Amino acid sequence: MTFGEKQTDPTTPMHWRGDMQADYFYPAGIAGDKFFKHLKTNDSFLASTCDKCGKIYCPSRLYCEDCFEEIPENAWKEVPASGTVRLYTIATLNAHGEKLENPTVVALIDVDQTTSSMLGIINLVDLNKDYTGLKVKAVLRSKEKREGTMKDIIHWELL
Amino acid sequence: MTEKNKYEGYPKAAPGTHVRESDIREKKISYSWWEPEVQYSWSLGQAMSKFLIGLKAGKILGVHCHRCKRVITPPRMFCEYCYGPTEDWVELKDTGVIETFSISYLDPDARRIEDPILVGVVAIDGASPQHGFMHYFGEMTKDEIKIGMKVKAVWKPEDEREGSITDIMYFKPLKEGDE
Repeated sequence: MTFGEKQTDPTTPMHWRGDMQADYFYPAGIAGDKFFKHLKTNDSFLASTCDKCGKIYCPSRLYCEDCFEEIPENAWKEVPASGTVRLYTIATLNAHGEKLENPTVVALIDVDQTTSSMLGIINLVDLNKDYTGLKVKAVLRSKEKREGTMKDIIHWELL
Repeated sequence: MTEKNKYEGYPKAAPGTHVRESDIREKKISYSWWEPEVQYSWSLGQAMSKFLIGLKAGKILGVHCHRCKRVITPPRMFCEYCYGPTEDWVELKDTGVIETFSISYLDPDARRIEDPILVGVVAIDGASPQHGFMHYFGEMTKDEIKIGMKVKAVWKPEDEREGSITDIMYFKPLKEGDE
């Protein structure tokens, strides 16, 4: 087969199709494991306090990100699953760049009684509303359906 | 500072546990798992298509470069030495010589294995010296495999072939009078 005799039969294999297996596995770690196991059976969050600088982490951590101090076992506490919107953005495209039928409000929420923030989705969409500073509460899956991941928080609702 | 107090003031070693496969399966630990869809379609081109069709029929095909006077396999439309077009397809033997090899104690998923996988390059008989492709070696142990060893292809049964390089399962040692 040279240039003169090119393949023209469309049934011959001209492409090799494959599926690359690239599974993504992310263990939550010791502190994260404790946090999610707590979330599975409770309607609140776990937070851990740094003795040295007073930062309160939620989701809880084993080490302080700021001063690298180890956070002891007794510095863990339960905090309510509520907070204040610090900032937000209204997404009109999905992860693939396609236009969303219903835009979503994605917000950074300062969790109550902590110095940490969490990303979440607010269920009420009002394009003209200013969400900053509003009080929100996490809406969790029913306890039977919880699987111990961030997805257990369905969304946050305005109080 | 002496060796002894070099790590004074450092936090203790971070507590940690190895994650076992059973921990994941029995959901003893919290984790996220995601399987992205990563599909690809490799356009084979004229030469590789014909080569794979050849494998399906149980033949190893090669191609001539008349200028460089060599027979190339896997075939290509251009000679990468002289950039001239290749011509004249030839059917090669399914025997060859081990050009180089590896004894791998890791499987394709990088898991440690007891029985090593033998892989390497086979120079196919009928092609120019040192012309061939990578493949598995079988029916030999890691102590028996040698560079320069004569090998023969072990084909899949004809109805299981799909036009893939794995239509040859592996290369086995070629014994006297086997040809």
